[in-house]
Amino acid sequence: MNALLEVRGLKTYFFAESGVVKAADGVSFAIDRGRTLALVGESGCGKSVTALSILRLVEPPGRIVAGEILFEGRDLASIPEKELRCVRGDRIAMIFQEPMASLNPVYTVEGQIVEAIRVHRRVSRRAARSRAIDLLKRVGIPAAENRADEYPHRFSGGMLQRVMIAMALACEPAVLIADEPTTALDGTTQAQILDLLKELQEESGMAILLITHNLALVAEAAHEIAVMYAGKIVERSSVRELFEHPLHPYTHGLLGSIPRLGAPKGRTLPAITGTVPDPARYPAGCRFHPRCPAKEARCAVDEPLLEEARPDHTVGCLLVEGGVSPMEARG
Amino acid sequence: MTAERPPILDVRDLRVHFPVREGFLGRPNGWVKAVDGISFAIRRGETLGLVGESGCGKTTAGRAILRLIKPTGGTVTFDGADLAALGRGKLRETRRKMQIVFQDPYGSLNPRMRVRDIVEEGLIVHRLGAAAVRRATVLEALASVGLAATALDRYPHEFSGGQRQRIAIARALALSPTFLVCDEPVSALDVSIQAQILNLLTEMREKHGLTYLFIAHDLAVVEHVSDRVAVMYLGRIVEEAPAGELYRRPLHPYTRALLSTVPAIGGPPRERNHLSGEAGSPLDPPSGCRFHPRCPIVRDICRTVEPRELNLDGHRVSCHAVEEESAR
Amino acid sequence: MNETASNSPAAGAAGYWRLVWRRYRKRRLGLAALAVVVFLAILGAAAPLVVGTRPIICRYQGRWYFPCLYYYNPRWENPVFFKDGFRFTYYPRGLAEKDPTSIALWPLVYADPYRRVDVGEWRGAKGDPNRGPPSLRNLLGTDAEGRDVFSRMVHGTRIALLVGFVAVGIAAAIGIVVGGLAGYCGGWVDKILSRLVELVMSVPAIVLILALVAVIERPTIWHLMAVIGCTRWESIARYLRAEFLRLKETDFVAAARALGVPPHRIILRHMLPNALAPVIVSISFGIAGAILLESGLSFLGIGSEPSTPSWGRILNEGFNTLGGERPQWWLVLFPGLAIFTAICAYNLVGDTLQEAMDPRIR
Repeated sequence: MNALLEVRGLKTYFFAESGVVKAADGVSFAIDRGRTLALVGESGCGKSVTALSILRLVEPPGRIVAGEILFEGRDLASIPEKELRCVRGDRIAMIFQEPMASLNPVYTVEGQIVEAIRVHRRVSRRAARSRAIDLLKRVGIPAAENRADEYPHRFSGGMLQRVMIAMALACEPAVLIADEPTTALDGTTQAQILDLLKELQEESGMAILLITHNLALVAEAAHEIAVMYAGKIVERSSVRELFEHPLHPYTHGLLGSIPRLGAPKGRTLPAITGTVPDPARYPAGCRFHPRCPAKEARCAVDEPLLEEARPDHTVGCLLVEGGVSPMEARG
Repeated sequence: MTAERPPILDVRDLRVHFPVREGFLGRPNGWVKAVDGISFAIRRGETLGLVGESGCGKTTAGRAILRLIKPTGGTVTFDGADLAALGRGKLRETRRKMQIVFQDPYGSLNPRMRVRDIVEEGLIVHRLGAAAVRRATVLEALASVGLAATALDRYPHEFSGGQRQRIAIARALALSPTFLVCDEPVSALDVSIQAQILNLLTEMREKHGLTYLFIAHDLAVVEHVSDRVAVMYLGRIVEEAPAGELYRRPLHPYTRALLSTVPAIGGPPRERNHLSGEAGSPLDPPSGCRFHPRCPIVRDICRTVEPRELNLDGHRVSCHAVEEESAR
Repeated sequence: MNETASNSPAAGAAGYWRLVWRRYRKRRLGLAALAVVVFLAILGAAAPLVVGTRPIICRYQGRWYFPCLYYYNPRWENPVFFKDGFRFTYYPRGLAEKDPTSIALWPLVYADPYRRVDVGEWRGAKGDPNRGPPSLRNLLGTDAEGRDVFSRMVHGTRIALLVGFVAVGIAAAIGIVVGGLAGYCGGWVDKILSRLVELVMSVPAIVLILALVAVIERPTIWHLMAVIGCTRWESIARYLRAEFLRLKETDFVAAARALGVPPHRIILRHMLPNALAPVIVSISFGIAGAILLESGLSFLGIGSEPSTPSWGRILNEGFNTLGGERPQWWLVLFPGLAIFTAICAYNLVGDTLQEAMDPRIR
């Protein structure tokens, strides 16, 4: 149980004029060395907020109101800012969705990587530069020595994301948080980036927290998966286990609603009815119950807790009995 | 189903080139060949999927067909009429029959107009009925996309992405068109909403006998919706075939590579067909076969000579390797 | 599959302007500024009701008249008063003498912006009404010619606002047309119009006005408004052009074209309403600027005739006395305050509007 990064009961709320938005409402998970955990959910479920909370990057009016973030013997949620800054970029690094927006357009690529290095390490500029070029080569930028001195606008989206990864790796972090790293990229580029991450993980043993809404992507990129809905984790298990035995009706619905290549062409996709609830006004009881095809009366009253239904497979649903999903039980 | 249906849309050698100008009096010193000679035909009631990555020109093609962008060359024949030859008045009339749904649900609705006005505008412009009739049509259109009458007096920003997309579909369908261009209609939506909207689109198609040009980059989505699929790369169509056939027996190496990037959920992992490098630029496309710099099976001829299009029993493809293979 | 409409509060349709107003309301300074603007507008519009020497409404020889309309336009005074010699006897005595049964509703303060009021004009009021510094009789004092400053200030509000609105109105009209055409048409139309804008930008308004004064014998306030309007439209033109260029590329405009909406309707219905946000802000700042410009010109002695009760004019008079033995400070302080307040108010309104119209709402 010695996980590299463990989040316990994280609650991040936004205090807006219209009310309190419980973006992350009691999120717990752990990542081990050399493993990739995918945090999956649709927009508004709180996955990005969770990722930002780990490094306390959430801006007011949002803040962490409860929970612990245990990493290397410290609770990141409560250590002073100065100490946290030594963790950010050095021990835990983060890459974001829009690489074009994450890089400063007025500095060269090499300049930004060098900055990332020299903030955390006492090295000469020359040493930092040579490390930056090495990193660029490692992430697959062709003609790295020349391209290092170019500005971000000369790179394509895929290339920029590689630069971001290079920056993130500069100090050899133990954990990499990747927030929708491939959403803005094309299919072929997506595949390349994911393969690169996998390689880097194998080399260095770093843990990766992958935030995405793309369930299909997770299949090839992650070891474990946690599904989020309305601020809570509703199901968690290994990837294979989840795809073979989805327990929570939401997971079930998500998997069913994705068109598959080569699947028989039925006319309709089994879609989940309704929409994601307003984060300022969650339904009472189980937050998914208004949209759940298997709901019962008690679902509107009792809030389900995460329980282990199958070996190493936890789910938060009142109707899961004996490791069988209510969706299957219905037939 | 087996009777020969005449094509409702016939695109021949469509080209859209954007000039790159520099200087004050800007003589173009280069052209971005966004669409560089594509041809296809869609029969009534059919759905053609147009698939490709960003920058391949598929969105430009969709808009050029509807004449929202002026084509630089080629012909687009809709319902027997050459769109380029139509006068302004006739073109406007024809627009009734060909509509479009855009990708961005947040940008495709005028934020200052109420839903009622948005859906009704087409009816007003084409003078389809008096106020009472129009209102009834609007209500019906909204109901058919699953929105209640309470939506009428609201503004787009009060709705979610999926709901806005429904409003956009209602707007398009209010005119009772025969042909609909769907330009990445679900790419910006959440997974669970995607399924809802896809179902809505297929339902509308059945109900009204519509013909679709479905543009997307997600292969699985395209296969689900389309009868035939065309694959675009750097402004050209490299392969076109019936949907099932394309996915079972892809011939062009680009199609193969694309298919291999679609992650498989459950089941054995797909064999990875790696594409090196990045897509070229439509400003300066590679010589010969445009795909040759990234092609895993490139040969000498590919670098200099453009492949011609082969038609193998309804399965069109442009590739030297395939040509050689089929010649044997 | 039926979705209910969104979870937003059912508090009626939330149009763009209503949202803007809600955001505006939260800023107290902006509200205060808006109150000042509204107050000035009311004061300007209702000046003859506040101060004047003509009744607001009176019943004379059996018929009802509105003599106060004279202040809006001299030609609107009913000829009967002219015929009956009210010019010389003035209304209070004239009404009493000529028709003892007359009824009249008088403005709050009896004073005239265009002439000095004689002793005893107003129902035997005591004291000389025409002497210098602020007194009970003349709340803000009188100017060199004996005209009551308070009345000149109040009527000057109308002038100031008129200048602001008309000048900016002209500027907006020109700017919207030029900017709209440039933005919508693009190509060589845009190139030519942009060069025109640059041309106008490079001509300072003051120079043009001086040239105008040299050409026209006695320029009136209307000339001034026209000139200000014709030289200050370029920022509006540029904002609108930029907005139109952006809007041209939006999907909803493309959707409108796909629907077959004709160009004039696209511009009026789709592009203009979405483009007006920066223009409105510009207009608010423009009004402040126009008031300042007019005051400045009047202060320099250029522009309107000396009898026009413009704030700048009063300032001009007072300023000239400052170095002398009896500085007439009231002629400087009050108009100065008024100009400052009006400009501040309009600028604050513009500023707050800008914040309230933040693109996050779009």
